[in-house]
Amino acid sequence: MNFDLTNDQKMLQREVRSFAETELAPVAPQIDVSGEFPWDNIKKMAKLGLLGIIVPEKYGGSEFDFVSLAVAIEEISRICASTGVIVAVNNSLVSYPILQFGTEEQKEKYLPPLCSADKLGAMGITEPNAGSDVAAMESTAKLEANHYILNGTKRFITNGGEAGIFVVFAYTDKDLKYKGISAFIIERDTPGFTLGKHEELMGIRATANCELIFEDAKIPKENLLGKEGDGFKICMNTLDVSRIDIGAQAVGISQGALEEAIKYSKERKAFGQLISNFEMIQGMLAEMATQIHAARLLVYYAGYCKDKGIPPRFSKEAAMAKYFAANMAVDVTRKAVQIYGGYGYTKDYAVERLYRDAKILELYEGTSEIHKIVIARELLR
Amino acid sequence: MDIIVCIKRVPQTAEAKVEIESSGKDIVKDRLTFDMNESDMYALEEAVLLKEKFGGTIIAISLSCSDAEDTLRIALAKGADTAIRIKAEDFDELDGYKTAQLLSAVIKDIHFDVIFTGCIATDDAYSQIGATLAELLGIPHATLLTNIEVIDSISHVHRELEGGLQEHIEISIPALFTIQTGINVPRYASLIAIRRAAGKEIKLVGQNEISKDQLLLNTQIEELFIPPVAKQVKIITGSPGEVSKELAGIIREKGLI
Amino acid sequence: MSEIFMLIEHRQDAIRDISYEMMTCGRALAEKLNTKLTAVFLGYDADKLVESIRDQAHRIMVVNNEVFKEFNAESYQIALAEIIKKENPLLTLIGHTAFGMDLCPALGTQLGIPFTTDCLDVEIIDGKLIATRQMYDGKLNAKIRFRKNPSYLVSLRTGCFPVRDSNIESEIVNIESPISAEPDYRKFVEYIEAAISDVDITKADVVVGVGRGIKKKENLALIEDFASTIGGVVACSRPIVDAEWLPKDRQVGSSGKTVKPKLYIALGISGAFQHVVGMKNSGTIIAINKDQNAPIFNEADYGIVDDLFRVLPTFKNSIIEMKSK
Ligand SMILES: Cc1cc2nc3c(=O)[nH]c(=O)nc-3n(C[C@H](O)[C@H](O)[C@H](O)COP(=O)(O)OP(=O)(O)OC[C@H]3O[C@@H](n4cnc5c(N)ncnc54)[C@H](O)[C@@H]3O)c2cc1C
Ligand SMILES: Cc1cc2nc3c(=O)[nH]c(=O)nc-3n(C[C@H](O)[C@H](O)[C@H](O)COP(=O)(O)OP(=O)(O)OC[C@H]3O[C@@H](n4cnc5c(N)ncnc54)[C@H](O)[C@@H]3O)c2cc1C
Repeated sequence: MNFDLTNDQKMLQREVRSFAETELAPVAPQIDVSGEFPWDNIKKMAKLGLLGIIVPEKYGGSEFDFVSLAVAIEEISRICASTGVIVAVNNSLVSYPILQFGTEEQKEKYLPPLCSADKLGAMGITEPNAGSDVAAMESTAKLEANHYILNGTKRFITNGGEAGIFVVFAYTDKDLKYKGISAFIIERDTPGFTLGKHEELMGIRATANCELIFEDAKIPKENLLGKEGDGFKICMNTLDVSRIDIGAQAVGISQGALEEAIKYSKERKAFGQLISNFEMIQGMLAEMATQIHAARLLVYYAGYCKDKGIPPRFSKEAAMAKYFAANMAVDVTRKAVQIYGGYGYTKDYAVERLYRDAKILELYEGTSEIHKIVIARELLR
Repeated sequence: MDIIVCIKRVPQTAEAKVEIESSGKDIVKDRLTFDMNESDMYALEEAVLLKEKFGGTIIAISLSCSDAEDTLRIALAKGADTAIRIKAEDFDELDGYKTAQLLSAVIKDIHFDVIFTGCIATDDAYSQIGATLAELLGIPHATLLTNIEVIDSISHVHRELEGGLQEHIEISIPALFTIQTGINVPRYASLIAIRRAAGKEIKLVGQNEISKDQLLLNTQIEELFIPPVAKQVKIITGSPGEVSKELAGIIREKGLI
Repeated sequence: MSEIFMLIEHRQDAIRDISYEMMTCGRALAEKLNTKLTAVFLGYDADKLVESIRDQAHRIMVVNNEVFKEFNAESYQIALAEIIKKENPLLTLIGHTAFGMDLCPALGTQLGIPFTTDCLDVEIIDGKLIATRQMYDGKLNAKIRFRKNPSYLVSLRTGCFPVRDSNIESEIVNIESPISAEPDYRKFVEYIEAAISDVDITKADVVVGVGRGIKKKENLALIEDFASTIGGVVACSRPIVDAEWLPKDRQVGSSGKTVKPKLYIALGISGAFQHVVGMKNSGTIIAINKDQNAPIFNEADYGIVDDLFRVLPTFKNSIIEMKSK
């Protein structure tokens, strides 16, 4: 058993941390207010290979493993949660399913631009009437000659407003229930594909969250990902992997909050002394640090399971990591705000943003409730 | 162009509490973070820029304990081709002179056109390794470089003097240069470069390879102490509102604006 | 002979302040040891300069040759090595300046005598040399002792020895230059003057100096706004210039400008000596830094240990209020 990061993981951590502290930190609070998509930084990160962390070198990626992916997402999210999500989606929700289920042609065509950020990735599962219940989706795709004709609306799509390559799910055969869902790779300039409402979010506000509208959109037949009916499997498989990322976001955001809280507690005075002298403050800090540590171990372990190919356990491990880390992040950032007192409720301090950023973790890519269902199902098998 | 870059791993003390260890001669290190010395990062980048222009190889050398292998690997990821660690653990107490002697003992057997070092290490702040090493190797040197251009065997370099003034000098190579911060923009290592560097071996050189007989210490630290306060500062405490009022009061009273 | 020697530093036809500081230090040492101070002057056509230091040392050794018109570490090293070898002084002082950094370590190494750099103080106790240096971003000082030797070499930090008057009648000794041309491996070409600036920070009554603590370029707007409220100009520490957030002409310190405003406000500046030499003679110094151990608090008249971004808004309001009264 070995809990140490490897040499390359340690180096990656150092470089990503230094990049985040220098390049991301200055813009993080601004893009939270403006909602502006951080293209400059995304391009810079692409040059370093952060947009294709898990993609093999031959497709333009960096060819690291999933623990490394978690380390990188954690370091990015520690400074800027929005950027962390953008990078995570490009890696796990888009590049990963193409890598895993795509044809050689699809990989050669779509992975290099995803890695270089020439085209960013987004993934569309959720619909106005289908969130947790994925199989309730209403989008359909019908094969006509050489094209699938896609109709439907996807809601809440991260990177949606800025992406060039989309992995989108729709029914090719409604009668087969979830076994009739298929996955497609869709380019931004596809006829019949338009962007809908841009969401004003509570947190992760610079993630170009947008509705995708397909009205008789013509998708070339060869852009089917996997086979017809593989969609649900691709979706679940992909979400398993991306749960590592969400867990890493949670750990990163929380780590950032803890560091801020420690700093502040050593500066702020009340009743004639530093608030760090108060045992209740110390108690919160101790809890926060322990919670983060536990979550980090769960997340790295989920990544380790994926890397070592321990599939039967992996689904549950990933769900546990995501569920625990998401709850942890909301609690830890809440405590950070608490330690700041009233100042923590103002936009003058980062913890206010971190608290808002953390909340999404309990919601997307499966709510906490859904995660508990997944975990329990494994337990009760 | 074959280039050697000397690299040090130093504690990051600008914003940290620095405490003296019980011996009185060293600092407590366990809670400090360590990283590549700031001006060394610029020295490394300058080497990579020269290599990109002229080809050749870069060797990164550090006299350090094994923890610094991480730092050397970062140098490999940023463009060095090979890395050598001179095992500090083999050579007892060090000062600037002995450090330069050890570096020269290794470098004298290596082919190079240019040696770069940072202009100062932020921990012991000697600013003496570069010029000492050059003298031991018998090559010319120039410190505090803000610009360098190499044309054949002549380098045109700008040295930073005081008050914003610089001097332009010509130095024939092989030569040693110490690099001032701001000369370039050090790059981040790409992930691919990191992966390649992670697997590379770091060459170790220790007491089996370097004789300890000739090594000399010029100086030794007798004791460390907190600097005496030159001027008694008045620390104003209170909420931001309170301290601001008090400051404004002082400014008014003294007629400063 | 256990004399004290020092090297006169001059540039562009002027003796540099560090020379007077070293002579002050050297005279004090000489007096204690009951010996003499020799100032070594390498230069060209320099009667006027030598004249200006005539009362500063017991002896002035003048090596007058065109080769020494401008500083060249390699030519200086050749000449000084000869002199030191011949005269064998107990201690030679060189300035820890851009000149000295180039010269001192190489000279000491060539001569094989113990040396160290950047000393704030030197004492000789029972024939043993003890130097005080600063380490770890100015947070600690160190007492350094030397390998025993008849002759030592140290470089002195600028600004550590307040210049004292002197009225010694110097003996002038002219020495033949051992060289008449720069070595072919190193040649001085020219000076490059600092670019002319639009804002002259040396003329302002109020200077707001910012350091790495402002964290990002975007925060400069806030600082500019504060500076204009208080009627001052924005200056900075070196890392701000290295990062290209402000032009070089705004840099305060040894490699930047020296300012002496009525009021200097240091925001997020740690107080490295290279910065402090450029502002310590300001009338009143206010420092805001969240690190209570930052060396800047050794220079400031008033200090606030807090996040500068917490204090700045209320500070600005208090200034506005004060002005409106
Ligand atoms: C910022 C943001 C980014 C997003 N990015 C993407 C994206 O890139 N791609 C994408 O496809 N989707 C994305 N989503 C959608 C997200 O995955 C869904 O919002 C999420 O899955 C929940 O679906 P819902 O909102 O429809 O909630 P619902 O499914 O309506 O759930 C409402 C509540 O009911 C609970 N609930 C539902 N079913 C059960 C049950 N069986 N037992 C107990 N409780 C239950 C839920 O936990 C929740 O508390 C994003 C959402 C947001 C807000
Ligand atoms: C040959 C040579 C010449 C040099 N010349 C110069 C020169 O001319 N001028 C110069 O300035 N430097 C010069 N330097 C560099 C000098 O040694 C220091 O590295 C530099 O002055 C440090 O700048 P700083 O104080 O801004 O940064 P740091 O030393 O990194 O200090 C930042 C400070 O900001 C504080 N801080 C951080 N965040 C906050 C916050 N939110 N609120 C309040 N405080 C905060 C920290 O506690 C810390 O004290 C020179 C160096 C060399 C080797």
